[in-house]
Amino acid sequence: MENKNKYWKGLEELNNDPKFLQNKKNEFSEGIPLEEVLTEQDGELSSNRRDFLKYFGFSISAVALAACNKAPVKNVIPYVVKPENITPGVPNFYATTCGACSAGCSILVKTREGRPIKIEGNEESPLFKGGVCASGHASLLGLYDNERLRGPKAEGKDLDWNTLDAKVKDALVQSKNIRIVSGTVNSPSTKKVIAGFTSKYPSTKHISYEAVSNAAMIEANKKAFGKAVIPGYRFDHAKVIVSFGADFLGTWISPVEYTKQWVTNRKVNNDRTEMSRHYQFESNLSLTGSNADVRIPIKPSAEGVALISLYNKIASLAGAPVLSGAQNVEFAVNMIENSAKELWAAKGHSLVVSGSNNLDNQLLVNAINSLLGNIGTTIDLDNYSNQHQADDAAFESFVSEMNNGSIDAVIFFNSNPAYSYYNAKKFEDGLKKVALTVSTSESLDETGVLCKFHAPAHHYLESWNDAEPKVGYFGLSQPTISPVFNTRQAQDSFLKWADISTDYYTFIQNNWKSTILSGAVIFETAWNTSLHDGFYVAPAKTASTYNMSALPTEAVNPAYAAYTSSKDKVELSLYSKVGLGDGTHANNPWLQELPDPISKVCWDNYATIGKVTADKFNLKDGDVIKIATKNGMVENVPVLVQPGQANNTISIALGYGRSTGKVAKYVGKNVYPLASFTGTTFNYVSADVKVDKTGDDYELPQTQTHHTIEGRSLIREASLKEYIKDPQAGNNEHAHIISLWAERDSKGHKWGMAIDMNACTGCGSCVVSCNAENNVPVVGRKEVLNSREMHWIRIDRYYSFKDKDGKKSTKEKEYNNAANGTDFENVKVIFQPVMCQQCGHAPCETVCPVLATVHSSEGLNHMAYNRCVGTRYCANNCPYKVRRFNWFKYRENDKFDFNFNNDLGRMVINPDVTVRSRGVMEKCSFCVQRIQAGKLKAKLESRIVKDGDIKTACQQSCPSNAIVFGDMNDANSEISKLFNNDRSYVMLEEYNVQPAVTYLTKIRNTEEVIAGESKPKKHGHHEEHKHEEKHEEENAHMETEHHS
Amino acid sequence: MRIFRLSSLLSFLVLSVNLAFADVAEGEKLFNANCTSCHAINEKIVGPALKDVDKRHNEAWTIKWVKNSQAMVKSGDAEAVKVYNDNNQSVMTSFEALTDVQIKSILEYVKSGGPAPQTASVSGATNGSVSAAKSQDGFYSNTTFIALSVMALILFIIVFVLFKIKGTVEDLYNQKFPQEAIEEAKEKAANYKNSISYKLFKKHPVVGTIAVMLVFTVVLGLIGFDYANKEVGVQKGYMPTQPINYSHELHAGKYKINCQYCHSGADKSKQATVPSASTCMNCHAHVTAKEKYNGEISPEIKKIYAAVDWNPETRTYGTNQKPIKWIRIHNLPDHAYFNHAQHVKIGKVECQACHGPVETMKVVSQQRSLQMGWCINCHREAKVDVANNDYYEKLHGEMKKDGKPFVTVAQNGGLECGKCHY
Repeated sequence: MENKNKYWKGLEELNNDPKFLQNKKNEFSEGIPLEEVLTEQDGELSSNRRDFLKYFGFSISAVALAACNKAPVKNVIPYVVKPENITPGVPNFYATTCGACSAGCSILVKTREGRPIKIEGNEESPLFKGGVCASGHASLLGLYDNERLRGPKAEGKDLDWNTLDAKVKDALVQSKNIRIVSGTVNSPSTKKVIAGFTSKYPSTKHISYEAVSNAAMIEANKKAFGKAVIPGYRFDHAKVIVSFGADFLGTWISPVEYTKQWVTNRKVNNDRTEMSRHYQFESNLSLTGSNADVRIPIKPSAEGVALISLYNKIASLAGAPVLSGAQNVEFAVNMIENSAKELWAAKGHSLVVSGSNNLDNQLLVNAINSLLGNIGTTIDLDNYSNQHQADDAAFESFVSEMNNGSIDAVIFFNSNPAYSYYNAKKFEDGLKKVALTVSTSESLDETGVLCKFHAPAHHYLESWNDAEPKVGYFGLSQPTISPVFNTRQAQDSFLKWADISTDYYTFIQNNWKSTILSGAVIFETAWNTSLHDGFYVAPAKTASTYNMSALPTEAVNPAYAAYTSSKDKVELSLYSKVGLGDGTHANNPWLQELPDPISKVCWDNYATIGKVTADKFNLKDGDVIKIATKNGMVENVPVLVQPGQANNTISIALGYGRSTGKVAKYVGKNVYPLASFTGTTFNYVSADVKVDKTGDDYELPQTQTHHTIEGRSLIREASLKEYIKDPQAGNNEHAHIISLWAERDSKGHKWGMAIDMNACTGCGSCVVSCNAENNVPVVGRKEVLNSREMHWIRIDRYYSFKDKDGKKSTKEKEYNNAANGTDFENVKVIFQPVMCQQCGHAPCETVCPVLATVHSSEGLNHMAYNRCVGTRYCANNCPYKVRRFNWFKYRENDKFDFNFNNDLGRMVINPDVTVRSRGVMEKCSFCVQRIQAGKLKAKLESRIVKDGDIKTACQQSCPSNAIVFGDMNDANSEISKLFNNDRSYVMLEEYNVQPAVTYLTKIRNTEEVIAGESKPKKHGHHEEHKHEEKHEEENAHMETEHHS
Repeated sequence: MRIFRLSSLLSFLVLSVNLAFADVAEGEKLFNANCTSCHAINEKIVGPALKDVDKRHNEAWTIKWVKNSQAMVKSGDAEAVKVYNDNNQSVMTSFEALTDVQIKSILEYVKSGGPAPQTASVSGATNGSVSAAKSQDGFYSNTTFIALSVMALILFIIVFVLFKIKGTVEDLYNQKFPQEAIEEAKEKAANYKNSISYKLFKKHPVVGTIAVMLVFTVVLGLIGFDYANKEVGVQKGYMPTQPINYSHELHAGKYKINCQYCHSGADKSKQATVPSASTCMNCHAHVTAKEKYNGEISPEIKKIYAAVDWNPETRTYGTNQKPIKWIRIHNLPDHAYFNHAQHVKIGKVECQACHGPVETMKVVSQQRSLQMGWCINCHREAKVDVANNDYYEKLHGEMKKDGKPFVTVAQNGGLECGKCHY
């Protein structure tokens, strides 16, 4: 099967880079290091065949001796008093609120024998609807972080809580100017605790500080509408979405909530052919941008003028006054005009957002939304968001005050400015002048190191708390494990220091009794229901319309000044990555090993740079540069040539280069020093960047072209226009199927999975979820470089060129493009999650010499680890390259010093899944442990398995509901319907391996020709067969080309 | 099948060895069944410690005493009265049903010192490696092995010496009667040609070699199989000393307490679960077995009290609770998933099917090999109770339509790797 569009995973593939071609030819992209071992210089002698035999003989005898170990005595230690609701072996789920970031998603925590082992989405939550992001999943590992503080400390010495409290209180009483520096606090009870603390120590000021701030939005809403809030967005009500650099599907404010909203207008089927239209103007290719229908690469400095032009275009359509003194700008193919027209056509049901932390830009966004009548429909200023509350100016003046010596006590709570403040030196100097410094962080972070007192807080999974992420939506947090260490909740510390004698749990209860649940007939019942559900929803307020008092005319001149002055200069934008975010979770190995959705790089940050700009500076992948702005300078940043990156821009991810934490330390470079303060807000973009090549080389651990698929057609897509005309658009060519094997008949159950490529945003939540569920080991940077990552599910990201003239983009044209690099700004992106396809005629099964992988009657491809002898034939024969080999023992091995290497970290292991050893193959099992558990539950309740009973780990918390799993033999199941969907196709259909995973074609809401002419013939017609042969010839031709 | 044969052969070998100690074994059985509620060998319970009883009293007296001690006391037997008084005048139950031989067996057992010291104790848990099956079986003990080796060596020397002597005598004879010697040699040669060894090794050396190798293979294979079984963690017969000398015979056998009263997870969880100490307290807050310990609380029950920090005087709980570290007997390897609820609740398998007659065990031991073959055998034969479970009924109905009905677990995919290994 040859697709009309050419898809490529990386530039090396597109350019036929020699190294890439070499790797492609090898059976495994990584060789067996036998040669290395045998020729290793050992003193003066080099090893030879005899040494090999010696080692060989020794190994055999060593193994024989080791095998003589007798079975150790195992203890079974029951509870002394068994809690009524805990049965060892049966998981308990607790509803709580995720504390990974301030978005405050409602989650369920699966505990076994009293220890949390998995985070799942709370499907009953009306706001988050069961979604969890990658960092949410990974935050579980924070609980078992071996570097957490074991108890309170004063100046490096351990002490008990009473002594610490006495000392801190003494100092607080003597203080005249106290500050609490915290991240966003969206918990009403915590706010009340801080208020209580403030009334005890009236000089206290609470400063909200966010490493990646959205303070400009709050300020802009205050200025425009008199409400200093971040509004509640309704992407589900928006028919047209225009985003200026707001990565709302990935990192912006509340990505899970927004993804759930966004995806409701993205799924199409025969009954619903309407889709929202999504424009994205941005400089670096973000997750949101890669999912947009239309993406326009712009420089950060062009955002202001683009917004002004957009405003004026809409204003002229509306007959409203335009912003005076503005000349309009336009981008490729009149995208400002197009989006203006569409926005106006969908007025009241459209939405413009911006991720910029520039007040002018945010004011312009407000003006546009106000003009479009979106306030009160897609933008809700009454049911606003509490998820980001940073006040950059307040923090800035706090740092100055510290340097003045006017502050004598600071308590840090959930914030780490010593790492993330752009001028760490100034902060550090100021902090030295403060008499009392207290850190409540869980482990010794950059700020903690500078503090005198450490009052380590619980991990959020050990804590009581509440949250109000959005007005009227109250989340509750409850402990899911007894505190592992001698730590204490920060709120309890505040209460202690404020001499309030209630504990925080009672405090929350009292607070809810008097405020949130004051209307409840019986408080206890209402409280217990909320605690059980994990949230309480108060009746929503009606969203009223707000009008902008004055046009932001003051924004015009600075915007044009910025635009014109940086015309040919290179600009820098700092962004945060999906997963690692602002760097709070940098010490989390699951997140470090999660490949970035776009670049597929893990364990590093890097400067992404467009092809044209790279050529200009004579840079290629892996070149190391020094980058300097007027704010600061960062050395030794590796370069990654990134398709989609706007020309003349460079982007680097924040959150790396931590100086504390075993895992985080030395990974990537800290680029916070390149940020700045504009006078009102923190600024993450800089114009006029100096780039110097150091001449060094650096290899980035990038997984994008591991397991390359040799240009075979795996992707099917169509435009919405084509889809409406023909639901099978892009999916109407089917292979002529010949089978070598007898058909399997799976009676009873037959498990299958469907993945909607229209919904999948590529966010990586499933990857981390799978890691947690299936005890997937972390292998580290070096092994990823060797292509030995162990993830059972990977998200393949393909680029293809945009088709501007409506014609097919031919191969020749693409190579030309690649050669002169013209269109690398405009690439289309598609994501495809790939896990074991559980083939009905599995190629891996036929080649296993020991029958370690065999087929089940339920359509699963079973993998018996203890039978596997590690020939790796199966991986070689797998057309989807989903099998992963354990090159090492990843647990209890100092070389892989991650969570599997210490007792605490191993507590996260799922006891229902085997921890694999060295030398065995592994792969996705369709979460067979969940299937078995689901069946058992049905049997115990004497009923059939209901559709939706069994959910795989990747499916359960997918923020975009892209994955559906179920029994294909159940004719009424969702999966059966999806398998018969017109958009449904399997990868490499022509091999007839009969995968149990089906993909639904990607439909883009564009007018362009994607699928091409349709040939509405299906399955093995004669002409079709001929057609196939022709393509085979072409394929053969391609092969020779590759090898030449 | 081969495995089955090998193991049956092995067990025959082991059995035949055990027969030599039948006396003691019989005595042990009788002792455990009749005596242990009042007697132990090395400690005083209600009755005196029985160690060296053969030295304290002659056998005929002891037999008479066991059969009816009260009659002896009443008859004024001085020895009997003394024993009676020394033991707080507690009356020993009469065992008139026991034969003299049986009582002798018991005495023989007492003389043997009772159960062999079990290394797999709690302290063993700390050093992490403890012989499981070996320690239980006298046949494997080190002293026996050394003694047998020494005996074998001596026998070997005797055989060697005897052959030497025979050779010397023959030489002397031949020197004296050379003619006869030649005749004899001829005859010997003729005989040799007809002998099996000639036919095997000289005429058909290949067959001979194969035969020898076959014998070696079988012998080594048997030894190796037995060894490997023990070494890879097949712990059939494993009977560790538990921190509390808890008797299933008493609780499950005599008092007929339902298994799931204590092992409450068996019908709903993967694990059957060992009961928490608080479960014991449901009864043992009242049951103290004082009657057996001269008014003192049983030392074993006291261990429960220590665990839950219960003060029997004030009848209050303290806060210093310490869990009981039981020793796990049935260990499945980590890569095998087993779920009790599936077997107990849905499969309706009796506990005894896998754990043996626990209700007769004073000390629980592992009765089944827990090897995969053993699991598989049952899965091949066990029938699925289709009629009483809607899940199976619906599934079965579907499969019947397609002519693929199932009766046994195996037919429903119960032999597939991924049903237990994931």
